[in-house]
Amino acid sequence: MALRAAVLRHLRVPVQFFALARRECQPPLCSGGSLRLFSSHDDHLTKDEVIERVLSVIRCHPKVDPSKVSPDVHFQKDLGLDSLDTVEIVMALEEEFKLEIPDKEADKIDSCDLAIEYVYNHPMAS
Amino acid sequence: MAAPTRSEALSLLRSLLRTARHFCDYNIREYTKRRALDGFRHNRNLSDPPSISSAYADGKAQLEVAKRQSAVYSLYAPKVKSIMEAHRTN
Repeated sequence: MALRAAVLRHLRVPVQFFALARRECQPPLCSGGSLRLFSSHDDHLTKDEVIERVLSVIRCHPKVDPSKVSPDVHFQKDLGLDSLDTVEIVMALEEEFKLEIPDKEADKIDSCDLAIEYVYNHPMAS
Repeated sequence: MAAPTRSEALSLLRSLLRTARHFCDYNIREYTKRRALDGFRHNRNLSDPPSISSAYADGKAQLEVAKRQSAVYSLYAPKVKSIMEAHRTN
């Protein structure tokens, strides 16, 4: 009995010590630090980066003349693409930025600046 | 069956391209993409409703085949990647 009490006393001291020490070492999680968990906006793409990557995807399309590509071209009027090429480009943009663009939105994207606008405003673009 | 609208046809093409992405094997993935686009280009000038409908129905059937095959092939995924996609893996 005396042994048991002695052992318990020895055990309890370090455990309390650890619990206290751990609480002090942990950084405050929610109080305005630079660490923001579950936030997707910290690493959001800059507009320039989006423009650059969108343009490079469009330049890679085999039917496009790379010298004609600029941020404000229209796919069908300026680049001479048809609706099938447009679908192809929008799918390539999905792959580049790891997005899933719903059909309704994808139908509307028919020019470079609309594509840039859509990707830039998409919260999941990466 | 009424002829599909333009956006329905484009949506079928999108579904085919999305399904094509799921194939593990580079060659099959690229073939499926190419085949879908070539099929749509081949039929782009169809104008009478019955032939448009039959081409659309054909595409739908192919979509089902592609979906099923991508599931089946995923069970037998190649152990080594194609040299063509080597630069994408790292």
